[in-house]
Amino acid sequence: MRTTEGPLVELVETVQSPAPMGELELQVVARAGKSFAAHQFHRGALRVLRPHYLDDSGQVCYVVVNPGGAYLGADLYVLDVEVGDGADLLLTTQSATKIYRTPESFAEQRMTVRLGEGSRLELAPDQVIAYREASYRQKTHITMRPTSSLVMAEVITPGWSPDGASFRYEELRLRNEIHVQTDGGTRLLALDNLLVRPPLDDVTGTGFMEGYSHLGSLVVADARVDQALADELHQLAEKFDAYTGISLSATMDGITALVLRSLSNSTEKLNTLLGGCSGLLRQRWYGQAPLNLRKY
Amino acid sequence: MLNTRTSIHQLALRQLTDSALPTGAFAHSLGFETYIERGVVHDEESFGVWLAAFVSQQLTYSDALAIRFLYEGVSVLELDELLTAQLLPRQVREASVKMGGRLIEIGTEVFPSEELDAYRALVSGGRAAGHQPLAFAVVARSLGVPQAEAIAAYLFATVTSLTQNAVRAIPLGQNAGQRVLRKMHDAVAAAVERTARLTPDDFGAVSPGLEISQMRHERQRARMFMS
Repeated sequence: MRTTEGPLVELVETVQSPAPMGELELQVVARAGKSFAAHQFHRGALRVLRPHYLDDSGQVCYVVVNPGGAYLGADLYVLDVEVGDGADLLLTTQSATKIYRTPESFAEQRMTVRLGEGSRLELAPDQVIAYREASYRQKTHITMRPTSSLVMAEVITPGWSPDGASFRYEELRLRNEIHVQTDGGTRLLALDNLLVRPPLDDVTGTGFMEGYSHLGSLVVADARVDQALADELHQLAEKFDAYTGISLSATMDGITALVLRSLSNSTEKLNTLLGGCSGLLRQRWYGQAPLNLRKY
Repeated sequence: MLNTRTSIHQLALRQLTDSALPTGAFAHSLGFETYIERGVVHDEESFGVWLAAFVSQQLTYSDALAIRFLYEGVSVLELDELLTAQLLPRQVREASVKMGGRLIEIGTEVFPSEELDAYRALVSGGRAAGHQPLAFAVVARSLGVPQAEAIAAYLFATVTSLTQNAVRAIPLGQNAGQRVLRKMHDAVAAAVERTARLTPDDFGAVSPGLEISQMRHERQRARMFMS
């Protein structure tokens, strides 16, 4: 079945792009129960720190660094990540993604991820902060197998402006596509498209931010996702000071995506909530402790 | 004298968007019942605020944009897959498929066309889900309804059934319901204009509050509506 090459996508891909400001390629493979980078390449304003092993599970942790500290207008950052069969990668960032003023332009990050059979990716970047008059587009295109496992968490703040007012940026787009690949073809499992355009609509009130300042999302795509897990994560999320919804995608080739969306009033509160949920999955599925990245 | 072709498609469009069309729209709040339960929607004004947000955001970026892309020649199979993947709150996805299925059945009986047969075959063969805006767009296009007119009619029909549901659920007076509908004329016109300017990247953009409320509806204890 044709999915990724449809006319809609072609239109998107023909948009002219500048030469990347930063490029990163990372290919992680597993050998004897331990994951490591078999290929690593970086150019310009993106690189990774030396890998960590946070526990004895064999999961390798890479930390992406943007030495410039911020994304500027017309900057393009391209990341290409492959997690090979049976490999296990935790990918995070060193600090918040800050987008400065981007007059008449936008900063963009494009990330392509391929997950092999029985592989696992935990994607846990720091929050996105857009400054006054900033525009940012983030596109994450993930292709996984029915046996791969994906957990991704994201937090968006109201941004920053000199007068302390919220939502003074121009536009934030965060688009995640999750495709499931089998020998029979590739199908789109979930399209998670967030578009915040404060100058166009009041984003603070009913229907959008509901009076809250911060937005968090957790997406889990895994064959073990079911309604019982959604109910359990809902019970857990209700203990936090946030307004949270959880639902399940359609099931395709035996794999289901769970999406948790949460509104609250600080990055800390959302990180605690999202960390609690991903911690439950780490414990149950892998016997790992909850993530505590801030100690590194 | 009436232009015969125009009057025929206009009458067909009226039948297709009449709130008596048995698609089951009376059974869906598409999330506003959660706002009623929270006490946020409780009268004519507060329902109008929710409805305006729903029309300018979710209905525009998903349903109306899907109708436009179908008119512009994007394949119904690709749009069907995008809608299934993008409608992440389960009840809203199921509502779209349930009402879409009814619309395909009714359309097959009263406005048959090759295009509708083709979509029906994809759905019965399990290759497509059969979403409401696409079933509507396939029929409207086969009848020669111009794109902007089709989108406006679809949006206003949705607004009408939601308002009728709010009249029962909140409850509102019948005249209050009519005032809400009158106020939505501008919102629907603005949504049609916005739909024409959106890009493929905009498709399916979510509004977090609307989406969370639709998700939370799954766990609401006492409810009148299926979504």
